[in-house]
Amino acid sequence: MTHALDATGISARYGGNVALDGVDVAVPVGRMVGIVGANGAGKSTLVNALAGWSRGRPIVRGTVRLDGEPLDGLSPHRRAKRGLVLVPEGKGIFSDLTVSENLALVRPPADIAGRHLFSMDEIFDLFPRLAERSDHKGRMLSGGERQMVAVSRALRAAPRVLLLDEPSAGLAPRLVYELLAKMRALVDRGLSLLLVEQNVRATLELVDDLYLLERGRLVASGTAAEMKDDPRILEAYLGALTT
Amino acid sequence: MNLAQQIINGLVLGSGYALIAIGWTVLLGAARMVNFAHGQLYMLAAFIAWAAMEKLGVNYFVAVPLAVLALGLLGVLLQAMMLRPVMQQNLTSLMIVTLGFGYVIQGGSARLFGGDPEAFKSPLEAASLRFGGVWFTWQDVITLLGTLLLFAALWLVMNRTRLGAVVRSVAEDPKLAQLFGIDASLIYIGVFVFECAAVALGAGLVAPRSPILTSMGFDEVILTFVVVVLGGIGSVGGSLLAGFGLGMFNALFGALVSPAYTTAAAFLILLAVLVLRPRGLGAR
Repeated sequence: MTHALDATGISARYGGNVALDGVDVAVPVGRMVGIVGANGAGKSTLVNALAGWSRGRPIVRGTVRLDGEPLDGLSPHRRAKRGLVLVPEGKGIFSDLTVSENLALVRPPADIAGRHLFSMDEIFDLFPRLAERSDHKGRMLSGGERQMVAVSRALRAAPRVLLLDEPSAGLAPRLVYELLAKMRALVDRGLSLLLVEQNVRATLELVDDLYLLERGRLVASGTAAEMKDDPRILEAYLGALTT
Repeated sequence: MNLAQQIINGLVLGSGYALIAIGWTVLLGAARMVNFAHGQLYMLAAFIAWAAMEKLGVNYFVAVPLAVLALGLLGVLLQAMMLRPVMQQNLTSLMIVTLGFGYVIQGGSARLFGGDPEAFKSPLEAASLRFGGVWFTWQDVITLLGTLLLFAALWLVMNRTRLGAVVRSVAEDPKLAQLFGIDASLIYIGVFVFECAAVALGAGLVAPRSPILTSMGFDEVILTFVVVVLGGIGSVGGSLLAGFGLGMFNALFGALVSPAYTTAAAFLILLAVLVLRPRGLGAR
């Protein structure tokens, strides 16, 4: 299986605190991969490390390859231009800019070989609400609309791999399922996607493969079908008791 | 008192204030950066233009663009040296570093150009116009028109172009901007170069009104600070309004009360505005 994204030995620490310890993760081409784990397991640190980005200043080690090309040492904006595009948890858009301005910030890459360039029409087909809100400033939008803008701007960058960090945070359950279903539809059209989610039940229904992180370590991985029956998933996240 | 003349004086004075402050408006408002060497950069630009005229023999219209170019290049150098605190949005470090740059520029200029006052002459200063009881020079006209044009162009770029949106995005959240594929460090360099080049243009148009000294610059920083804060940090229209307002106030207060107390009175106005509108006149 060809991997769009292949990361090995990813470690991250903040001062003396180890947030990630030698995690390997891969996203095959055209598949949706989920990462689940409790709060503080290192999920966000992992996707941020893959994108070379952080709000803090962690020391990160490990190798990240995008379509076989190493990205080590590249700044976040260069990784984004290469096609590794992150939608971070929480604030993912600019509140002083309108929806149109947020989306226009992204310059389509010069080399789009093997990448799908989402037109504005496609974006508005995906999220019709944004067409009505195009002149509204980011701060005037609801949480769901902000998330739509954040995902849309990532799609405008023609991602080879989209990293989506907790898109459900602060959203109503109906919106979460709607958003994730739309992401699944994009994956079925060829997008490679790495999804970090707290909502394990929703994640398991949509992803092809799943990783389970605990305290910065990878403790289980497999296809979604395999992981559904994993006792650690059943016990900790799906509310079933093993006997 | 000739009221019409004082109004003209106020407009000319105010356009100069606004022009000198335009770089800071972008720097502080749009990029959340400070540069306390602003006044010394103004002084340096005036001396570079003066030296180009005196030593190289070029005329005023070549000397001013040369000073603008030189300050732009100096802006690249300064910004490259302080990129780290800039990227970390460390305003305290930036304050100290730019104050340091200011002293270095002042000391270096004193060594290079000497401590005596010099006459930086514009041919437009000598060409005057008179309408009834009102008198002004072509230099005044160029300063006023140049200021209005520069502010209009800046407003258009900041509010109607992708470049303006990019600068505003970096100002709001430089970390997030990186995820949009934006090289924030390049934007910071661009904004700093604009600030340096704009203050050089301000010096080229305003400094010929009086003898230039390597010790000058402090008044310009204070005036810039008042204009930028009064106008509402980052508000292009607000800065223009504040510049003209301050110029008009100084001209009228100087004529009606006393020129000796204009700075103190201007700060009183600043305090009053900030009490009533804490985010400045141009804040939305």
